[in-house]
Amino acid sequence: MNLLVITTQTWITLGIVCGIFAGSALLIGALILIVSKFFKVDADEKITKILDNLAGANCGGCGCSGCGGFAKKLAEGGACLADCHVTSPESKAEIAKILGVELTEEEPTVAVVHCNGGVENCADKFEYKGNPTCAACNSLLGGNKACSYACLGCGDCKAVCPENAIEVTGRLAKVDPDRCISCGACITTCPKHIIDRIPASAPVYVACSSQCKLKEVSSVCNVGCIGCGVCAKVCPHGAITMKDNLPHFDYTKCTGCLTCVEKCPRLIIISRKIIAEETPATPEDKTTATDEKTDKKAE
Amino acid sequence: MGMLIAIILSAVLTNNFITYQTLGVCPFLGVSKKTSSAVGMGLAVTVVMTLATLITYPIYTYVMVPLHFDFLEIIFFIFIIASLVQILELIVKKVSPSLYKAMGVYLPLITTNCAVLGVTKIVIGDMSDFVGVASLNMGWAILYALFAGIGFTLVMIIMSGIREKLNYYKTPKALAGFPIAMVTASFICMAFYVFSLIV
Repeated sequence: MNLLVITTQTWITLGIVCGIFAGSALLIGALILIVSKFFKVDADEKITKILDNLAGANCGGCGCSGCGGFAKKLAEGGACLADCHVTSPESKAEIAKILGVELTEEEPTVAVVHCNGGVENCADKFEYKGNPTCAACNSLLGGNKACSYACLGCGDCKAVCPENAIEVTGRLAKVDPDRCISCGACITTCPKHIIDRIPASAPVYVACSSQCKLKEVSSVCNVGCIGCGVCAKVCPHGAITMKDNLPHFDYTKCTGCLTCVEKCPRLIIISRKIIAEETPATPEDKTTATDEKTDKKAE
Repeated sequence: MGMLIAIILSAVLTNNFITYQTLGVCPFLGVSKKTSSAVGMGLAVTVVMTLATLITYPIYTYVMVPLHFDFLEIIFFIFIIASLVQILELIVKKVSPSLYKAMGVYLPLITTNCAVLGVTKIVIGDMSDFVGVASLNMGWAILYALFAGIGFTLVMIIMSGIREKLNYYKTPKALAGFPIAMVTASFICMAFYVFSLIV
């Protein structure tokens, strides 16, 4: 019990200690205040204002190191607002006002993988046992897929996606359009350059990137574009043009009649509507997905 | 001259802060994934170590000991180091933005780094195990802190170099990531242990 009794001596020591700390805290506090006054950095107000209006995803899709770098580049005039695909149009209008530039209207876009050659459709050239990233795989003879335009399926895009919108099944990456924010991180990462943006409302997309001719394509892939040009011929609206043995869509003309989807002999034009109907996103699924997301954010 | 060599050898190799005294292990494992960040961290720690010793040594010797409150050294040193880092950050931000970019982000991380506190506490104590002298005067103490920081940076760079290389090798699934970093750390420590046998 005696140990717990606080003597007058202890009280005095305690008082002195408190006094010392209070005194030095005041002293150091004052010192920090003075130093911060003398060494105040005049932060550019424009940059902070722009940064407040940016989405803050820090996805790196614009090629800058996070939103801070992009805001700085914007203020200096080295970047244009269209480079960011995440920020909402309202916020962009706000930033345009700060910068004093005209904002051009643009449609929301999503990323798609222009390849459908998974393990069952496109054979392997050789067995790859190296580092499981697309970049490493691609540096070895352009990857181990028989088609040199094929998705390598190691999931580099999945790793950089800030929204977990990309899934790799059967060595084929697929983008979930509901989650995709079109930041462009996967587009810059993909060593094969087969991911690209399409308008979010586009009814169809081309699931092949091969620029090879008939024989080279059909010998390596079951679902490769042979460049026959049937789609361009049958399209009633003239929305399709052939370029580099691949159909190119003018989505402003496309009405979504799906004639090209029906007539394509290799089934490389894929209707995004049918995909959505085939795998209906049930409300349950969606809630769990968003729950997971909020959980992650809470962590 | 002999003293200088003793201090350099002791601080950098034989009594290295990470490998021998196991101080500052948190940044050693946390910030050693990339060489560039390891260099920035090492630079920040070196600067803060030197400056912290420069300030705490005279305060301890000329204020705390005469006034008989040297029993508060640890808590008081943390107090001083934390505010010192705060001030340093403000100054570096203004004076040299490029230097701030290189090491600024690591400065707030090391306000309560045990390696920084460790060096300030070691140099005021008995040094006979480290350099063969019972106590260091202020000049030697600051020099010791500087070379302790350099030793810290050296080990950080070695570790980050190995970890960068490790990314390109296949590791067993159970060892991938952090466990293999721990194994690497133990090998580095063993390699440095040899130095303490020589001197």
